This record gives sequence, C-alpha cells and structure tokens, in this order.
Amino acid sequence: MHYHFDFSFLAESVPPLLEGLKVTIELAIAANLMGLTLGFVLCLLVMSRWAVVRVPAQLFIEFFRCTPALLQIVWFFYCIPMMVNVFLDPVWMGVLALGLNLTAFNAEAYRAGVQAVPKEHLDACVALGLKPWQRTVFVILPQALRNSVPVLMTNGIGTLQQSALVAIVAVADLMYVAKTIATQAYRPIETYSVVALVYFALSLPIARLVHVIERRQDLAHQR
Amino acid sequence: MSSSAGRILHISAEEPVMNIDFSIVLPYWLLLLKGLGLTLGLTGLCAVIGSLLGFVVSLLRSSTVAWIRMPMTLYVEFFRGTPLLIQLFWVFFCIPVVLQLAIPPYLSVVIALTLYMGAITSETFRAALKSISAEQHDACIALSLSPQAKVLYVIFPQALLRAIPPLLSNIVSLFKESALISSVGVADLMFVGESISNSTARPLEFLTTVGLIYFMVAFPLTRLVGLVERRFLRRFAY
Repeated sequence: MHYHFDFSFLAESVPPLLEGLKVTIELAIAANLMGLTLGFVLCLLVMSRWAVVRVPAQLFIEFFRCTPALLQIVWFFYCIPMMVNVFLDPVWMGVLALGLNLTAFNAEAYRAGVQAVPKEHLDACVALGLKPWQRTVFVILPQALRNSVPVLMTNGIGTLQQSALVAIVAVADLMYVAKTIATQAYRPIETYSVVALVYFALSLPIARLVHVIERRQDLAHQR
Repeated sequence: MSSSAGRILHISAEEPVMNIDFSIVLPYWLLLLKGLGLTLGLTGLCAVIGSLLGFVVSLLRSSTVAWIRMPMTLYVEFFRGTPLLIQLFWVFFCIPVVLQLAIPPYLSVVIALTLYMGAITSETFRAALKSISAEQHDACIALSLSPQAKVLYVIFPQALLRAIPPLLSNIVSLFKESALISSVGVADLMFVGESISNSTARPLEFLTTVGLIYFMVAFPLTRLVGLVERRFLRRFAY
C-alpha cells in the first residue's frame, strides 16, 4: 500500500462540514415530522371504508414505495416547479420529497401496528358494548402506536440516510459538502470515511434504542 | 417559416410551464430498455452474491468466538448505518487508490451493492434463525439430536423458508437503491432517463416514464412477497 493517509486537511474543513451537518439534521427532522404526522393520516385513509378515499391513498403509498428515492427527489426538483410554477427553496423541496417518501413507508408501519392488535380485543370491545370511536381511541390506537414505534424509528434512520441523496440535486447537506471538499482537496478516502463515520454516529444510537425497545416488546409479548 | 417560428413563440408565451407530451418518449424506448437491462442485470447479480454473503455473515455473527463475531457485527452495523451513496463513492474512489488497482466503474458498483445487500440480508437471515421457537430447540435436545443434525435438519430448512419473503423485499430495495449508481456514471435506467431528460429538456415526461418503469418492475415483486407469505409459507413453514 503506497497511499499516505492525511486527515490534517480536514481540520480547516470543519466549519463547512458542520454547516452541512446542520442542513442534514434539519432535513431529517423536518422530513420525520412530516412522515410521522402525514403517515398517520394516510394510514387512516388507507383503512377507510370508502374506496374513493382508500384507492388513491393506496396508490400514493405504492408509488412511493416502488420507485427509487433518488428518482422521487430528482422528479420533485425538476417537475414540481414546471407543473405548478412554484419555486421552493431547495432545502424545502428536499424536505417535501423525503417527507412524502417517509409518509408512504410510515403509513404502512402504522397499518401493520393496527393489524398486530389481536382480534380478541375487538371481540372484547363488542362484548363490553364500547362504541366504535371508544374502541378506536382507547383500545386499538394505544396498542397500534406502541407496536409501530420500532418500525417508525427504523424508517426515521432510513430517511436520515436517504437525505444524502439531496446532494445530487445540489442541496448543501453533509454529503454535498463532503463531495465538494473531496474534489477540492483531492482526498476522497479521508473525506468520505470521516463523513461516513458522522452518519454512522448519528444513526447508531437510534438503532441501538430500537433494538432495546424491540427486546422489551418481545419480552412483554411472551408474558 | 416565419409562421412556425411565430407559433413557437406564441406557445412559450401562453403556456410557459405546461405542455406535456408523452409521445416524445417513444423514440427513446430502446435506450431506456438498455438502461433497464443494466439495472436488472446488476440487481440480479448483486442480489445473488449479496444473499450468499449475507447468509455466511449471519452464521459468523452467531459464532461463539468474539473475534469472528465482532468484525461481522461491525460490518453489518456500518453498512446499515451509513448512506449507500457514501458507500458507493467510497468504493468507487478508494479501492483504486488504496489497492493501486484500476477497476472499472461497473465492478466498483457491483462491489458496493453486494456489500450493502450482504449487510441487510444477514439481518434477514438472523431474524429468520431467531424466529425458530425455543420449543423446537428443546425438542431436539429431548430427541437427543446432535448439534449438527439439529441445525441441518430442523433449524435451517425452516429458517430458509421463512427468510424468503423478507429476502424478496430486500431484492426490491436493492433494485430501487441501484438507481444511485447513476451518480458514479454507470448507464443504468436512472442515468439514461436523466441524460435524455437533460438533453431534450423534457424532465417531466422522461422522469415520469422512468418512474413508471421502476414501478412496473417493483410493484409485481412486492405483490409476490405477499403472495409467498400467504400461500407458500402457510403450507410449508408453520
């Protein structure tokens, strides 16, 4: 191996990297807020009794789940301004694309959570003479939300990583800054290694937390 | 001559944003098809090698020897915890420099996607192995089966069957994520779609078409996952 590693040049790149990190975290948090709320709404729509509501919602989910996230982001950046003549700030366009993508995945997570509620509970609600809204609010939702927490968190980490894709449409996130620095300094190995470690350090604690929650839920189910 | 120029001006003045015409996609169908072919080929190749890698890694991760288990855990966590885009760039830029080897872009892309697939698949296999209930392990002891017989005849057949649906989902993810290889200049479907949309200045038509092509491949596969879960597994694995 003839390559000499030299991380020293990164010292002066810390401020731009931090700027990029800020954008990445903002993107991830905003997209997650959108995904968590809209995903829940979408889940309710998908489980609706009326096909007029259910079918479009289902179509939305399938389209976002069955096409590449990169394509969705590029599509939003090029086509939304053309179609509706709206020019959003690139960061907000990124939030919109990532957020809607996460919405589709989270809607499925919520739905799986609802379906995991045992049928016996529904029977019990009928036996106790609970009204449908009481059944939904007090019996199904609390359990469904708890069931779906690990998947929602995993999806959230996924969005943090997918947020690197906005670098391709020149939003100045961590990945974009890294690309710029790697090209300027001509030291891709060091730059990408450090940035990969940053992403890793961001997602590892959440992944561990998911692991702990899953284990606790498994234990609770065994009892 | 002057009248046609006037008409173009008129259109661009009246409708600056909306003039969607999907018929312009048709002459490019062969290029798009070639891109799709490359995407499917790379996905298939990386899915096969990656699944084998993931299987081996999942076995090594259940090893009792710490110095085998730890590096494997680190590998899986790292590839699951960093964006695929960085992994692609890393392999693309770094392998040639570190190993002093000029590898073609196709190969570096295959390496990166395979490592990614291996990492997510090893988790799938691990979950499948864990899903074999404790009673079955007890039964093996009660029947005094040797550890090899237990693994070979009781655990593996069931675990492998149960791993099929999530494995298919992983392949769908890999298919979608493979769009990222366009960013290192490999002419897959995404790359072809983007270049045509740039050169014709028709992003709406071409990007939407490319999206529909991805959808037409991925959607049936996701339906297949559900089908396998309902029909096939009910009969054989539970």
